[in-house]
Amino acid sequence: MTDFVDLDVRPILRSGGEPFAKIMEAVQGLAPGQGLRLLATFKPTPLLHVLGSQGFTHEAKEIGGGDWQVEFTPTAGAASAAPGARATTPASDTWPTPVREMDNRDLDPPEPMVRILAATESMAKGEVLAALLCREPIFLFPELAKRGHGWRGGFEPDGKTYRVLVRIGAGAGAAA
Amino acid sequence: MIGATLSRWTLSYFASAVAFLLAAEALMVLGFGYPGSALRSPETLVLVHCVAIGWLSLLMCGALFQFVPVLVAKPIHSNTLPLPALLLILTGLGALIAGFLQLAGYLPPNASVFMAASVLLGAGFLLVLWNLGRTLAAAWPLNLPARFVTIGLASVAATVTFGVLFTLGFAGEAQGPFLLELRARGLPLHFIAGLGGWLTFTAIGVSHRLLAMFMLSPELEGASTRWTFYLGTLALAIVVIGGVVAIAVGGRLDVVLLGAGLVGLACLALYARDVVQLYRKRVRPVIELNSRMAGVALGQLAAAALLTSAAAALGVVDRFGGALVFLVAFGWLSGLGLAKLYKIIAFVTWLECYGPVLGKTPTPRVQDLVVEPRARRWFWLYFAAVDAATLCLALEATLIFRVAAAAMLLATAAIALEFIRTRRLSNVKAALRLPTGTRLPRLLFTFVAS
Repeated sequence: MTDFVDLDVRPILRSGGEPFAKIMEAVQGLAPGQGLRLLATFKPTPLLHVLGSQGFTHEAKEIGGGDWQVEFTPTAGAASAAPGARATTPASDTWPTPVREMDNRDLDPPEPMVRILAATESMAKGEVLAALLCREPIFLFPELAKRGHGWRGGFEPDGKTYRVLVRIGAGAGAAA
Repeated sequence: MIGATLSRWTLSYFASAVAFLLAAEALMVLGFGYPGSALRSPETLVLVHCVAIGWLSLLMCGALFQFVPVLVAKPIHSNTLPLPALLLILTGLGALIAGFLQLAGYLPPNASVFMAASVLLGAGFLLVLWNLGRTLAAAWPLNLPARFVTIGLASVAATVTFGVLFTLGFAGEAQGPFLLELRARGLPLHFIAGLGGWLTFTAIGVSHRLLAMFMLSPELEGASTRWTFYLGTLALAIVVIGGVVAIAVGGRLDVVLLGAGLVGLACLALYARDVVQLYRKRVRPVIELNSRMAGVALGQLAAAALLTSAAAALGVVDRFGGALVFLVAFGWLSGLGLAKLYKIIAFVTWLECYGPVLGKTPTPRVQDLVVEPRARRWFWLYFAAVDAATLCLALEATLIFRVAAAAMLLATAAIALEFIRTRRLSNVKAALRLPTGTRLPRLLFTFVAS
């Protein structure tokens, strides 16, 4: 049986906050073999990818009222890896406030991607761009990776708006 | 990595598929196969498999290699395996056609051809299933559109299994009493699993997402979409499992098919409701040609469902079966396929060519790669010709059918030419066509930096 640490990020999400740093902090605090039981107001699909790439398997279930419980279980490789070595973005790393905000929700695909990439070209290293989209920008991510930008993204609590943050020149992307 | 990249061999699948569609239409113009020959003649089998495997299955496989990763937001398991799979399916199909031509007396008999067809086609589809299956398994638990695809893949597995058993029979192998009975009575299971499960059910699942994406409509995840999935899955299970059991115990197959038909009809009614919602709730007032023509194809599916129900109620399915299957294959599946190809080819070509320089230099829009008014005429000619040809089949007007088939061939060739123009960026203004850092995409495959 896996021993789980509980983390409820629903209050943070309901107050409009960004729980990514908190979640990564909790993940890094896990003892070898320990798992994480996460409670959220929506199914955190991008987080499943991020922790999946760090060697966690997950089991997600809806627990009523639109809330989700996800149990992340470490596989053998994840438990032995040194913390920090497996995180693409250190948990303590809080990103600066976005210098640009875009609302691309009503644009025809692939226009949202074109505008985000155009904006990144005019921004300085380390600056952050925030954009609202109406779906996960699947074709954008490889393009950001090729250009050496970092990103974080996830669905807002309404489950319909996807908010992506792009940090210029921040290397490999993460999501939450 | 999170996200999806371009599929390397999807364009090769599309090109082979369109070539087989043109070949099949040319055979119909020449009067080869049904209605000139009997529905179950070897000539008709050549024609049917050119359409079902050569055109529709290759089209669907190519599309899935690109879109399953998009549906599940995971990279494809292998971007290399689709090529050997394509070569196996193409050589297997060649062997199968050669086998049917032997049965028709055009070639000297040689049973090993059927054996080769079984092995090659079985191996080719197995590779496709393995690659897509691994991609889906990595994305567990699956979202609803991906679950439709999973049932579609289970159906193609069933279709190919039946097909291999029939083909081994032609080769003189696998002669047990149950297999003989299956060969005698199992043909409806083979083509319902293929046309209904593999092609139609997968198209339904993928179309939910593609229509929502291209028209900016809200995603469908409600109860009616879930029930479309459950009822469709049930109908297919009744056909495949119930059908095999009925044959094994000597039960009545028509009762099984009627039950599946009723459940399938309920599934299609729910799908129709969802599609109307997608078109009504769209954010874009003016929709692109691909969405409009997909609408026409959906109308053909509705017509086919209603006409099949009417024919069943009147007890004349056998008489009009050929015309009804023709309408499903060419009005619905091929119409939808050509409409979606028109958009997909433009999109993947645009992303391949201009993706690396987006934002760095002025680039054309996706819509600058196509000239819709020119293509629109050919799409209307195509659908008009299909409906005329269906009517000719129902009325047994064999000669006029060949004229209608010629119109289909002309329209398809013109649409194929539009695909090539899109791929070669022929429609893009010279000033924007190839900015520094871009190169002209190849016609038959996609350059993917790994």
